[in-house]
Amino acid sequence: MTPLEHYPVVDLGPLMKGLVIGGLGIFHVFLAQFAIGGGMLLCYLQWLHMRGACTLARRFIDDYFKVLVLVSFVLGAVTGVAMWFTSIQVSPRTIGVMVREFHWVWGTEWTFFCLEVVAGYLFYRYGPRLADAARLRLLVLYAFGSWMSLFWINGILSWQLTPGSWIESREVWEGFFNPGFLPSLLFRTICAAAIASLAACVLINVVPGFTRSERESLVAICGRPLVLMLGMPLVGAWYFGSMPADSRGWATGGSVPMTMFLTMAVGSSMLIGLYAVLGILRQRLYVNGATAGLLLSLAFVATAGGEFVREGVRKPFTIREYLYSNSVARDGIAELRERGVTADDPYPLRDEAAYPSEQLVLGGKVFRAQCSVCHTLGGVNSVIELTGTWSLEQKRLNIAQLQKTKPFMPPFAGTPEELEALVQLIGWIDAGRPAAWEESHDPLVLAEIRRWIDAAGTRPGRASLAGLPGGEPPR
Amino acid sequence: MTAAFPFGFPPSTAFYLVLLVATLLVHMVFMHYVLAGSAYLAVGRLAGRSRCERCGWQRVLVDWLPFATGLAITAGVAPLLFMQILYQREFYTANLLLSHRWMAILPVLIVAFYLLYLQKSAWIARRAWGWRIAVAAASFLGFAFIAWSWTENHLLSLDEAAWGPLYGSGELRYSTPGLLPRLAGWFLAAFPTLAIELYWQGRLLGVPLDRPPAAEDIVAGLSPLRRLALTALAGLAGFVIAAAWYWPTLGPAPRSAVVGPLGLPWGLAAAAGLAVQACCWLAAAVRDRMPTALAVLATAGWLMGLAGLIVLREAIRLATVDLDVLAEAHAEAAGIGGLPVFLLFAGLNAAAIVWCIRTVRTALESGAKSS
Repeated sequence: MTPLEHYPVVDLGPLMKGLVIGGLGIFHVFLAQFAIGGGMLLCYLQWLHMRGACTLARRFIDDYFKVLVLVSFVLGAVTGVAMWFTSIQVSPRTIGVMVREFHWVWGTEWTFFCLEVVAGYLFYRYGPRLADAARLRLLVLYAFGSWMSLFWINGILSWQLTPGSWIESREVWEGFFNPGFLPSLLFRTICAAAIASLAACVLINVVPGFTRSERESLVAICGRPLVLMLGMPLVGAWYFGSMPADSRGWATGGSVPMTMFLTMAVGSSMLIGLYAVLGILRQRLYVNGATAGLLLSLAFVATAGGEFVREGVRKPFTIREYLYSNSVARDGIAELRERGVTADDPYPLRDEAAYPSEQLVLGGKVFRAQCSVCHTLGGVNSVIELTGTWSLEQKRLNIAQLQKTKPFMPPFAGTPEELEALVQLIGWIDAGRPAAWEESHDPLVLAEIRRWIDAAGTRPGRASLAGLPGGEPPR
Repeated sequence: MTAAFPFGFPPSTAFYLVLLVATLLVHMVFMHYVLAGSAYLAVGRLAGRSRCERCGWQRVLVDWLPFATGLAITAGVAPLLFMQILYQREFYTANLLLSHRWMAILPVLIVAFYLLYLQKSAWIARRAWGWRIAVAAASFLGFAFIAWSWTENHLLSLDEAAWGPLYGSGELRYSTPGLLPRLAGWFLAAFPTLAIELYWQGRLLGVPLDRPPAAEDIVAGLSPLRRLALTALAGLAGFVIAAAWYWPTLGPAPRSAVVGPLGLPWGLAAAAGLAVQACCWLAAAVRDRMPTALAVLATAGWLMGLAGLIVLREAIRLATVDLDVLAEAHAEAAGIGGLPVFLLFAGLNAAAIVWCIRTVRTALESGAKSS
């Protein structure tokens, strides 16, 4: 495996790439879970209708399915493709490894997606004209296809954080059925059921033609799957427990944003769960459109928080123990420290003429290769802001020992000359990009940087990661 | 590249190439329907309300284009997957170089998709005719933009020499002499596909295309079948002109690949397929009926032509990439497990899809009989 593959790096200006992929991911996950839970809910309603337990179900199913098709088959499907394309924009190497290692799993998922689309569209088009038994069969196949899509994708996504024994064996099924697979699948299934129920409560109030008592009856029935949220704390704890200790550490105080987002996810879920169990299911409260909309918004907040945490706790990796967040291979650090991270970079800087020295151009390339996936030079999570209070020497030391400065950062993967160039670039931008900037090639400084880099080692910063296979033994 | 496609490549490369070509063919079946169908609607709407309301094909397209778009997107996932195995570096690099401009296809696709649903809605039925023209045109322009972007992306992925300078310039648009003719070629090739698909769709919906038309079906002097024939023949003729325009823009290596052992058999198959289609549609237009046998022959010609063109597309690409480097990556990918599981579920889900369709057909037929 090569230490780094050079791709042209996308510049999103002041936007952090993680925000772009994160924002889209949250939106897509929410839609996908709505579709998955929707399929299960509609099967249940159709079954109730066939047992004579809900006379309104058939009509409501047809209304709900129209929304499902318009939302899920258009926005859900296209945002799914968008996730692929956005992943390429943000981290081509990560998505490249995922595709290579799991292309048959992805292919299998695609066959279920085909089933979901065909069964779903047949129901949308012909459902109202079909007898109950045929409707139920189509709905079951639709729900099964959509849930199986989750099954396959969940294995790939959970593998990123908990690759398990795949790291040694490189066996696809050992990676797929990783320690996080089952708890994550169960957790997402509960989320999907809850989102679909809440969306149904919104729809019951929006669709014209139902009387107040009919709405009450439908809300009571569609709210039933929310009881699954009672299992959320247990499954959530199992899921959380399946994560590596250092990842859990980020979300439990190690990183303030992670902890905040986890609190947001847990808090929102708890509020929804309490209202669902005590209000909707126990006291049979009527949920009007505004309340249902508010609950659904809370579910979106919970999804956003949860997905942010899931993405964030992988740091400093995108594929744990294999690929760092800046696409440098875990075992490639030492080589890049000798060869240089920019040595094979065929791409010039876009505004090269604006840099007053070759060293600053080099610094720009180092930033682009190692930092730009998470940081900007003047926008969100700007390195200029983050290092603004550091002295020159602090910058050199802190970047040379980056994984020890901030343990969710990967180790610096370049030569002392490249590190010095990056430090000079930061200083130059912080000084307002003056027209002249003296180059810094002091051999004593470079020797000191080399010493610091060597002292930091090539392993990740957290003690729990230090003894990973392929790493140096803990000191 | 001394043997006909897909022979002469390392086994893993040949395997993924065949999968790419096969899945791309399926994607094209739906994608052509959407691209040419939305163009047909956009142009057809200009003829005014009364003519449009009498044109059965426009009604069919309005009704089925959303589903076809869903299928085109779904079917597009598989070739996208295999392309990432075969040409990962090239495809990713082109994506990244075009950046936001490339990513714009996604919101545009969402808008174009929803506009197709809007054309089916009661809301637009209540609006002035100009609304329908505008919505149909906007939807088509959306799909045309996506087609342009894919062509641009594909050509950029083949032009490694342009990558560095394009990145350095900060430009998010790639222009090359081959862009327009190639785009025109694929766009025009979509019309014969649309014609053949509409023919069979019409037959399934009970349109009597295998016998002379009724007087009330003739709009602006053309029967439904002649409209299809005209669509197909115009597309075929346009495609031949675009191909002739595209040929001089190709470099020596791609040309050798096309006329050499790799591509020649497929080029001949494509030419034969186009000729068969043209003859069938001419015969149908002259007699104003297309019996089943003639339609089957035209369909076979269409399939042969499309398959041949897709292979030529790959032959041109294969002539521009470093196969030694790629073959190593393909062998590595082929060594990764999971294929039996994929094949198992592909078979089961294909059976489930057929079962779904049969269930609906049986239910509808029995419903029709009982009523």
